[in-house]
Amino acid sequence: MTSIDFEGRSIPVEPGDTIAAALYRSGVRLFSRSFKYHRPRGLYCGTGDCPNCSMTVDGEPAVRTCVTPAAAGQRVHRSTGWPSAEWDVLGALWWLRPLLPVGFYYKSMHHPAGLWSIAEGPIRKLAGLGEVPRDQPPGNPERRYHHPGVCVVGAGLAGLGAALAAAEPGEEVVLCDEGGVGAKLPPGPLASRVAALAEAVRGNPRILLLEHATAIGVYEGPLVPIVAADALHLVLPKRVIVATGAAERHGVFKGNDLPGVWLARGAVLAGARFGLALGRTAVVAVETEAGLESLDAIQRAGVAVSAVLAPAQLASRVGAGVSVMPDSRVVEAEGRASVRAVVVDGPGGRTRIPCDTLVLALGLVPRDNLVRQARAASVEVTVAGDVASTGENSAAALPSAPTCGVVCLCEDVTAADLDLAWAEGYRGTELLKRYSTATMGLCQGAMCHSHLRGFVAARSPEPLLNEATTARPPARPVRLEDVAAGARYPLEWHTALHDRHLEMGGIMEWAGIWKRVERYGDVLEEYRAVRERVSIMDVSTLGKYRIVGKDATAFLERLYPCHVDDLKPGRSRYALLLNEAGYVFDDGLVSVLGDEGYYCTFTSGGADVMESWLRDWAEAWKHSVRIVNQTHALGAINVAGPRARDLLAKLTSDPVDPKAIPYGGIRRLSVAGVPCVALRVGFVGELSFELHHPRLESVRLWDALLTAGADLGIRPHGLEALRLLRLEKGHIIVGQDTDFDSSPAKLGLEWAVKMSKPDFVGRSGLNRLATIEPNRVLRAFTFPGPVAPLEGAQLLADGERVGYLTSSRFSPVLGHGIALGWVYRTDAGFPSTVRAVDGSGADLVGTVTTGPFFDPEGARLRA
Amino acid sequence: MALIIPCPQCGPRPYTEFWCSGELPDGGHSANPGDLEADYARVWLRRNVTGEQRERWYHHAGCRRWCSLTRNTVTNAIHDVD
Repeated sequence: MTSIDFEGRSIPVEPGDTIAAALYRSGVRLFSRSFKYHRPRGLYCGTGDCPNCSMTVDGEPAVRTCVTPAAAGQRVHRSTGWPSAEWDVLGALWWLRPLLPVGFYYKSMHHPAGLWSIAEGPIRKLAGLGEVPRDQPPGNPERRYHHPGVCVVGAGLAGLGAALAAAEPGEEVVLCDEGGVGAKLPPGPLASRVAALAEAVRGNPRILLLEHATAIGVYEGPLVPIVAADALHLVLPKRVIVATGAAERHGVFKGNDLPGVWLARGAVLAGARFGLALGRTAVVAVETEAGLESLDAIQRAGVAVSAVLAPAQLASRVGAGVSVMPDSRVVEAEGRASVRAVVVDGPGGRTRIPCDTLVLALGLVPRDNLVRQARAASVEVTVAGDVASTGENSAAALPSAPTCGVVCLCEDVTAADLDLAWAEGYRGTELLKRYSTATMGLCQGAMCHSHLRGFVAARSPEPLLNEATTARPPARPVRLEDVAAGARYPLEWHTALHDRHLEMGGIMEWAGIWKRVERYGDVLEEYRAVRERVSIMDVSTLGKYRIVGKDATAFLERLYPCHVDDLKPGRSRYALLLNEAGYVFDDGLVSVLGDEGYYCTFTSGGADVMESWLRDWAEAWKHSVRIVNQTHALGAINVAGPRARDLLAKLTSDPVDPKAIPYGGIRRLSVAGVPCVALRVGFVGELSFELHHPRLESVRLWDALLTAGADLGIRPHGLEALRLLRLEKGHIIVGQDTDFDSSPAKLGLEWAVKMSKPDFVGRSGLNRLATIEPNRVLRAFTFPGPVAPLEGAQLLADGERVGYLTSSRFSPVLGHGIALGWVYRTDAGFPSTVRAVDGSGADLVGTVTTGPFFDPEGARLRA
Repeated sequence: MALIIPCPQCGPRPYTEFWCSGELPDGGHSANPGDLEADYARVWLRRNVTGEQRERWYHHAGCRRWCSLTRNTVTNAIHDVD
């Protein structure tokens, strides 16, 4: 026989058991301790509507055990109570409740200042509903999209019927139920009808039936997110049908939350479906026709009913052999840990009836959470079945005002709390909800929402005040993991050399969506290889575009702020990309590759966005151009260092002398048999050839360069060395050194903008900016001494904050700290010396300078 | 929010496959270049209407083409796609 582990006890499980059924059969009566007062709670609704049976199952808190199937080996424990749920000293809080009035935190925690910071720790220990599992390996739910004609929530009689009806004329249907179909029905004619419909649904290829899948909301669209064990289903139907049925009405009176008090449907299920013995003697309170059926079922399940309370018109229909008390109602359930007796008020006065079970059949309340959500989101939904037909929305159908007892089981809000809140001026359902937190717990008002409305309706004739409160997602407790479904499948782009980098010990870092090498080993060694010998770097992530066509020149001339039409074949130029406001948002090279058209590069981060940018303008100007995004088709390796030419000469018979390919030149080369487009670039400030080549040849080219460069002392470098190398040259990285409003003037890059051109993107923005003095500028800084401030260091002048650093490193070749950063204009203009203060405690004096720190004439890169 | 964009190339696709560049200024982008006031308005001022507006959408996870359409910002109803 299978079993589950309950707080160290082995509990046998019978086929078809829920966790709660198995526990109850083994004698467990106290299922949880309540949220605020730690009241003992037992099985109550039996249909997943109330919070009482919530436990921690396999590390997951707030699991409704009455609707969760028991599975062999489950570890189950009650989430609250100290030292145990059974013997909980915090149960004493019930007697201290005059000290813990509604709005306790608002009233007590604002004075003296700092009180909350002291009280928070102990309160958090006492409160709460279990712990979020921290050491549990996360699951890996997927996200799936569906676009059916109809989404039906709830697979009961109405939901199954609605799904079949919608599928009949040919609609695709997604039908979901938070449990299994029929799981909440006792054996009987209804269960048979549901089973027959379910069979028809399962055989219908147009209906996707999701069981144990919970619709947690209705959003604009409409969008219905459905949480299942293995996936979050995002359903985007044309039409939503809510067929979530109805719950038994909660009863509110003194002692109403004692174990032994049952809602009728739960009691019927317990007896008829799970074969549980409810108690020896029961009192049953009936208020509706449906209640009579429940009474019948309870008796058939073998419960000895000692008294039935019913309105006069129903009383006569109660079968013989039972003591009927017409027009009587429950005023109190007595007992400490469970029901011992029920006090009844009737025409003949008060009567005390000893019993151990009290069953409430007070009518049905629609499970209308999704309907109310839809109303708030202005989504039209169709309601079907009990959720539509219980007449909840007429004020007459509201229950009478609760006078004593626990109104909100989740949040432990009592009738006295509502009285006090009303007296304090919180008049209306929405205000009472916010102030008392009634309806805001695990069950989201399934139990108390109608009573809250009844409470208000009895005190004010104003219908607006007792309106149904707005419902918001999620309708059911949902794990963060399920909300984040799909997020654990991040896109991660690899260059063709990814595996080579890993083999060589490369430490990878995220660069946007790409993984790139931060370093292979000693950054300083990588740096020295570039400055003193020769090095290679994988720069395949660069945005790479071919732009050809009749209007290509006119197009690029209008796109870039620099001149393009005077570029000679075989030449390239550094170019900024401006948005219409005149702010720099990307940079790169534009080059003419003989008569093969233009070849443009952009930053790695901008590679993807740039395609939309280029196409947008090409369309707007009706230019005849072809834009070919070769970012993923081509790899690129930068060969840099004083010996770079020597290395290439070993691998190519094409000329690589400065005449054939000068600084700023572009030329086709065959390197180690790999067809390359070589660009003479200057980002790191050394003689450099960027070799763009077919991606499939990357590994061959990389290996050939390393082999041929061995005797030159070659060593590849990663991003960290690159950041240092370019900083010594004072080159900015767009996105790191720039902001959303960095104009060329602020960056000191006006030379890259030709205002003499008649039109280009951003020109009018620059015209406007020209009328405003820049309030801040990007500057270079030197810091004497062996350390540089941290990036992000704040800059001070005369005790005032005047800026911050965006890039900062110690320069090995210069022997002092160098940085780029923003300085603000002060009354005295821009500062010439600053103090840099950072989080490590450094406080360094720096000098504001201009231009590259290293090789300012660029002799090395022009070699 | 759920929203289906009728892409002229790819047919109806969920909005998550698209980028939206927001409301289209009068006369489209690059109207009246050089007119400082008009340029300023085009770049910086948005009407943020409750109701119908022209918008540009880019199908980045599909055909990588732009389309213009009229969308009702209240109901998400879409027409006049080109």
